[in-house]
This record gives sequence, structure tokens and C-alpha cells, in this order.
Amino acid sequence: MQLLDTPASRPQTDGREAGRAAPRPRPGVFQRLWAGRRSYLYLTPLMVLLVAFVLYPIFGSLIYTLYSWNGIGSPQNFVGLDNFRQIVHDSIFWQAVEHTFVYAIIVVPVQLLIALVLALVLNNKKLRFSAFYRTLFFLPVVASPAVVGVVVQLLLSNFGDTFNNWLMDVHVIGRPVDWLGNPTIAMGVIIVVGIWQTLGYNLVYFLAGLQTIPEDVYEAAKIDGAGRLRTFRAITVPLLRPVGLMIVILAFIGSFQVFDIVQVLTGGGPYYGTEVVNTYIYHLAFGGTMDTATQPDVGLASAASFFYGLMLIVFAVLQVLIFRSIAKRRGAGPA
Amino acid sequence: MAILVSSRGRAPRRRTSARRIAGMSVTHLVLLVGGILWLFPLLWTLGSSLKSDNGFFAKGLNPLPDGLHVSNYSNAWQEASFGSYFLNTVVVSGGTVILTLLATSMAGYVLARTRFPGRKVCIGLVSVTLFLPHGYTIIPIFDLIREVHLLNTLWAVIIVQASTGLVFSTFLFMGYFSTMDKGLEDAAKVDGASFNQTFFRVMLPLSGPMIATVGLFTFISAWNSFFIPLVFTLSKSNLRTLPVGMYAFLGENSTQWTFVAAGSVITLVPIVVIFLLLQRYFVNGLAGAIKG
Repeated sequence: MQLLDTPASRPQTDGREAGRAAPRPRPGVFQRLWAGRRSYLYLTPLMVLLVAFVLYPIFGSLIYTLYSWNGIGSPQNFVGLDNFRQIVHDSIFWQAVEHTFVYAIIVVPVQLLIALVLALVLNNKKLRFSAFYRTLFFLPVVASPAVVGVVVQLLLSNFGDTFNNWLMDVHVIGRPVDWLGNPTIAMGVIIVVGIWQTLGYNLVYFLAGLQTIPEDVYEAAKIDGAGRLRTFRAITVPLLRPVGLMIVILAFIGSFQVFDIVQVLTGGGPYYGTEVVNTYIYHLAFGGTMDTATQPDVGLASAASFFYGLMLIVFAVLQVLIFRSIAKRRGAGPA
Repeated sequence: MAILVSSRGRAPRRRTSARRIAGMSVTHLVLLVGGILWLFPLLWTLGSSLKSDNGFFAKGLNPLPDGLHVSNYSNAWQEASFGSYFLNTVVVSGGTVILTLLATSMAGYVLARTRFPGRKVCIGLVSVTLFLPHGYTIIPIFDLIREVHLLNTLWAVIIVQASTGLVFSTFLFMGYFSTMDKGLEDAAKVDGASFNQTFFRVMLPLSGPMIATVGLFTFISAWNSFFIPLVFTLSKSNLRTLPVGMYAFLGENSTQWTFVAAGSVITLVPIVVIFLLLQRYFVNGLAGAIKG
């Protein structure tokens, strides 16, 4: 018990010291609560915010899933699990899930590969200006995703035609491409922007991971005559694995929550062609997309959100299990 | 360096070092050209914000402007109300930083350095929120804000934005305070400092690096935040922050591209400058988070 000693709490402390000398019952609950009153006071702002805006909403949204409700007034029309049934049978929801997964499954590996290569190059102690290069590649991270979306629209509005003409000249395409009007190509643009914007996080994560590998391990490998590739496979990869797993998991979590760039670049359009789960839920909760005006349905939106949350938990558990089985198989094999 | 083949002991020394220098130069060249290409969209936006309307299309991909049309900025600032968006963003980001720092440093301090009944429950409560599915909690939050009559105020944006980073920041402060020397508090006590004085005059000033890290993270995420200010300013266009304002402006006036470029620069420059000045804290904070 290293109670913080303040003038006010001194009698309390004295009491306990006396108690330690002669076996006496611990101070009563109320005394201890009173002694901790300053601690409670200091905790209050955090706890109020946490309970009101983090914990309550998680459980509050669960109640909305049982109502058909347009968000005005209080929910009246109890529909039981009907919202969940509707979501499971909504083909647009499953399209949105598919788009989100396609986004994540392309963005995560491509981005992590580039980030890892870059981190390996920048981690070289003999490379000068390494911190400067890191800053260059990190910078898009601090740009607002919404503004990045605007900038990309700006670029496409301008050089979209130039780029089209250029591609037609070299016969890559037969006719002009509508960059954000064609769902497949728009999704490609979103993916490229996604990779560009968040690569910096993974670069810094990988650099941090590489720096945890002690220099003398590399020295030892060099003395043993291990080549570059051998060193990478026998030292860097296994020692980077714990941090690497964390990076993969974080990258997937982030990708599954993509919203800003999609909303700004395409709004989920054309005709739900690039709708991801978070834009789908947004459109359900706050009204239609640019293409289609619909009545907001908060109950349905909450159900979709909750259902997607459950899907992500299942995915996270699967991910951990897969990683664990891979690790086990490697551990069991010959060293 | 990456292209350098490992030197077998027999290769003459001078040749190896010449090759090493050549390899280094190639690495630098690739990194530099790659880095400039990487930042091309941002550099192009900076250049385009100074172009004339005609120059914007005539110049195409060329980032260099046809003259310095600074009027884009004054137009964006006044006519496109980026001035008031800027002010809103400063208020929201500043408010969020102050609220987050106050709530999480105080909580981190008492959780790390005092003992009281219920301490473990509090830590458990904070930890468990990390694992609960957050999903789409904006709707109950929206309702709660309406109940307390804060809808369509910047307060709503500040409070909700602050609540997104609480757990992470509390853990950072807890970790930092728990490594501090116990002697500091004893010395403060000997000098007759009260609990408040010990915290605000001794412990908090000593946690400067952590204040910088948490403050910077909070500031950047608040400045760039899109979804929360979007939802809470849907019916009040004069409360928009810069990212929301940019989005709305693009929807309403999709032809004034040079204004949009100027608006983007107005949004990006402050955050980039702050990042460049304090990036040490930001990068160390990220690195610490992944290692921990």
C-alpha cells in the first residue's frame, strides 16, 4: 500500500501504521473511501466521458436494433429481430461487405510489403538523412483523409483527361476511362489512395520493430558468414514476427473501418458500386446517397453496425487462431 | 545499399568501398525521387492553389503555377467561408486537446500513484472498452447529445471527439507516471504541497514529453476528423470544420477548383508545420505503442 501522503490523509496513514504494529482490523470501507476522495475526484472527468460516450453507446445501440425508427422522437415501433433479418437478406449490405474485404485484402499486403522494404532500407545505420526520408514518406498520414479525397478529385478532374489521352496513345485503353464513374476503377482509385495515405503508420511500426533487434545478433551472423538474404530470413523475419503480427492485425482493423476517403471520393456510388460497410451504415442512419434518397432508419443502421461488429470479432479470433497455428507448426518443425 | 552484394573476403578493399559509395548514391537517388513522387499530390495542390482558373487546366500535371494568384486564398477565406471553418477547427482541436489532456492525465496519475478502493475496477473498466466492439455508436451518442441540448454546438464536436482517444491516452499517462520517482512526491509533501499542488505544480510539469505526445496525437486526429464533425454539423453549416467544409464546398461548387486547392492548403499547412516541429514525439509515441 503506497498511499500518496498528503497532509489531509496523514491521520489515515498514521492509523494504519499503528495497525501494522499491533494486529488491528484494517480501516473501515468508509474511511478508505474518504481517504481516496481526491483520487475519485481526479477520475471523475474520465469516467463520466467514458461511461457516457463510450460504454453507454455500445449498449444503447443494441436497444435500437430492436426498433424500426427514423431517428426522430423516441423509438416506438418494436420489431424484435426483424432488422437483423432484413440486413442478412439485403444484397447491398453483402456487396458493401465484399467491397470492404476487397479493399482490406489488397491494401494490407501491398502496403505492408512496401512499408517493410522501405523500413529495411531506412533502418541501415550507414544511410544518412534516414530521418528525412522517413518524414517524406510519413507525411500523408497527417493529412486529413477528407482533404486527401478532395485533392484526388482535383487531380482526376484535371489530369484525368490528360492521363486518358496518354493511355490511349500507348494503346493501354481503347476509350477514355471515367475514373470515379466506373465502379471497378473507382474502387481501384480508393485502394491506391488508401495505401498511400496510411503507409506511414506501418513504416514507423516496422522501423520500431527493427530497432528492437539487437545489433550484436547481426554482428554474430556476419561473423558466421551469413549473407544478406540468409540474415534476413534467419534473423530479421523471426525476430520481427511478434511486432509484425501486431502490425498486420492493426492494418486489418483500420482497413475494415474505412469511411472518409470513400465518402469523399464516391459517396459509395455509382449505384452502390463502391459502397463499404461504414458508408452503407451512414446512409441508412442519416439518409440517402447522392444517387438515391431514402428515409433514415436508425434501427436498421444499428443492426447492420452490430452485425458487422460481430463479424469483425469472428474475423479477429480467426486471425489470431491462424497465426497461432502457423507459429506452432513452425515451432514443431526442425529449427 | 540494398543492391550491394555481400563482399566475399577476397574482393579488393578499395573496389568494395567504391561500390558501396555507388550503391549508397543509387539508394539516395531512389529514395529522393520516390519521396518527391510520393508527395507529388500535395506539392501539386500547393502549386495549383496559386494558379489562375485557366492556368489550372492549361498547366495540367505541372505543379508550377502560372504566376502567384494569391487572391485564391482571400476568396477561399472569405467567399467560401474557409476563414470561419478554420476558426471552428482551431476551437475544436484546441478544446479536444485540453479536455483530453486534463481528463487523462489526472486519471492516469491517480491510477498509477494512489491506492483506493475500486482502483482495479476502474482500470478494468478502461481496459475492457478497448475490446468491446465499437461499431456504430454514433447514433446513441447523437441522441445523448440531443438530450443534454448540445446538438448544433461546437461543444458536441469537442466532447465526442475527445471521447475517442481517452483510453489510449490514459494508458500512456499511467505508464509514464508509474515510472516517476517516489521521492518527488515526498519532497513536495515536505514542502507542504497539497494533493492538487503536488499534481499540477510538480508531477504534471514533469510529464512534458507525455503531454506533447498525447497532445499532438489528439490535435492531429481532431484537426483531421471528418465523421464526427460531419454528423454533428449536418444542420448547421456555420459550425463546419475545415475537412467537412471542404467536402461540402466540393459538393456545392464543383467547378471552383483553385478555391478548393487553396482550401486544401489552408487545411494541410498548419498540421504539417506542427507535425514537422514535434514529429519526434509523434513517431516515438507510435513506436512505443507497437512495442508495448
